[in-house]
Amino acid sequence: MIDGWELVVGIEIHAQVKSNSKLFSSSSTNFGSGPNSQVSLVDAAMPGMLPVINKFCVEQAVRSGIGLNAKINKKSIFDRKNYFYQDLPQGYQISQFKDPIVGSGFIEISSNGQSKKIGIERLHLEQDAGKSLHDQDPNYTFVDLNRSGIALMEIVSKPDISSADEAVEYVKKVRSILRYLDTCDGNMEQGSLRADVNVSVNKPGDSFGTRCEIKNLNSFKFIHSAIIYEAKRQIRLIESGESIHQETRLYNIDSGETRSMRSKEDAHDYRYFPDPDLLPLIIEDTWIENIKKTIPELPDQKKDRLVKEYNLSDYDAGVIVSDRAISDYYEEVVKERNPKLVTTWVTSELFSVLNKKNLSISETPVSAGQLGELIDNIESGKISNRLAKDIFEEMCETGKSAGEIISVKGLSQISDQGELEKLVDEVLSANPDNVEKYKNGKDKLFGFFVGEAMKLSKGKANPKLLNEFLKEKLKI
Amino acid sequence: MEFDKNSLLKLGKLSKIKIDDDKLSSLSKDLGSILNFIDRLQSLDTEEVDPTSNSLDQPLVMRDDIAIDKNSANEILENAPEKELDFFSVPKVIE
Repeated sequence: MIDGWELVVGIEIHAQVKSNSKLFSSSSTNFGSGPNSQVSLVDAAMPGMLPVINKFCVEQAVRSGIGLNAKINKKSIFDRKNYFYQDLPQGYQISQFKDPIVGSGFIEISSNGQSKKIGIERLHLEQDAGKSLHDQDPNYTFVDLNRSGIALMEIVSKPDISSADEAVEYVKKVRSILRYLDTCDGNMEQGSLRADVNVSVNKPGDSFGTRCEIKNLNSFKFIHSAIIYEAKRQIRLIESGESIHQETRLYNIDSGETRSMRSKEDAHDYRYFPDPDLLPLIIEDTWIENIKKTIPELPDQKKDRLVKEYNLSDYDAGVIVSDRAISDYYEEVVKERNPKLVTTWVTSELFSVLNKKNLSISETPVSAGQLGELIDNIESGKISNRLAKDIFEEMCETGKSAGEIISVKGLSQISDQGELEKLVDEVLSANPDNVEKYKNGKDKLFGFFVGEAMKLSKGKANPKLLNEFLKEKLKI
Repeated sequence: MEFDKNSLLKLGKLSKIKIDDDKLSSLSKDLGSILNFIDRLQSLDTEEVDPTSNSLDQPLVMRDDIAIDKNSANEILENAPEKELDFFSVPKVIE
């Protein structure tokens, strides 16, 4: 709700299928190869070329559909969506219009502590277009067809989303599910997952307003700010007596504004019709059953299990399951260790290092096994939590194991009675004035003695035992 | 029945086909007669018939996900009227 207005958002996610070859041709899908190096005669739409569908891509669409709790349509049809653009050599995109491979479903999101069901309208398979580069030459646009023909799953939500926060949570959740299923790598920077958002505003109780579509948002931040900007723009227009035109808009990442996309003005009449080059796609029940057997534990189920098994808070469990690689890492460390300790180490220490170095969990400098060893040393009392943080830092820098660092530097905690006694004696005899003051009732000096002893031991004294010895020695 | 001339011009624009003024009338007539024929077909009762998307009664043939990697740039750009640094080069498109 913004100033008495309701916001209605529907989202189309384009998720690139993680396949080796394209949807209707055998060209490679590798990202970052030289321009036009992965283009077959089919992708370039040479006359007489015929599309042959990639079975793996069909399976990934079905898997994704199952992950979105959606109905799998046993018969689906490929249609031609006709429009002219320089990066679409066929003059049409092969897509699915009336009969998509996946029908309606839903996912659960949680936003601001509340959980909410967001409906999925459909998921269909389609070809991606090539890429146009407008900024390489003042007079020409350059076209690279490497992306042309790569398989996309277009996932369309119902207009159940009512805030920018919910929109972000929705895209995060879909991305997470696809990454668990491994049907899409979810890399938004490289464009393997991007979102178009449909935004409209209306007064409570009124029917939906006219919507505008903002295309090609490839980060959560852009999705959030584009929706806020667009909603405010529409409210401003309506309040000043103007009306909203249904149109496609572009988001400017530098200014944070949206503007009308002129090139799409005439493009709304796509004249869809069934592609005569492709027969209906029939999916037998046994095929669906076999695919179902390959579905892994998904984020919601995993979250419930972690909460039950390890007594995690809802929040911590949510953070850990948001990414499959993180949850795999966590589960490897937590095995037969104290879950609370492991959770703190993963979600605060490890995450802060990864953030600082801008690394993903798969690039972590400290493996799950290494972190586990460090935590074992804390649990056994060999090192203090404080010291463990220094060791962890060094592990991150050098890649060495905790054991190595502890033994090379002689860092293991001093718990030996004789050594601790020597330490305490040294501190007390070096500070006779303070000992006197303490004995005369200045209790606060206790902390000073602890600090001095810690300094002397270079942080290695077992804090609990040190406290006990000090108390003992300072007894009047 | 003639096909509406404005619709014809719009269709031409969408299809990137330039229609000369002196062809408008005859094309409208031709398209009109095609639509008349479609109208006749539509008078048939097809209540019980599934929509046909393809007249072949065969399953869709699928291929395995095997990438054939070859550097295609030379072959693909061979017919390009203009190219630059292995890109197709087309008159500037303004978004």
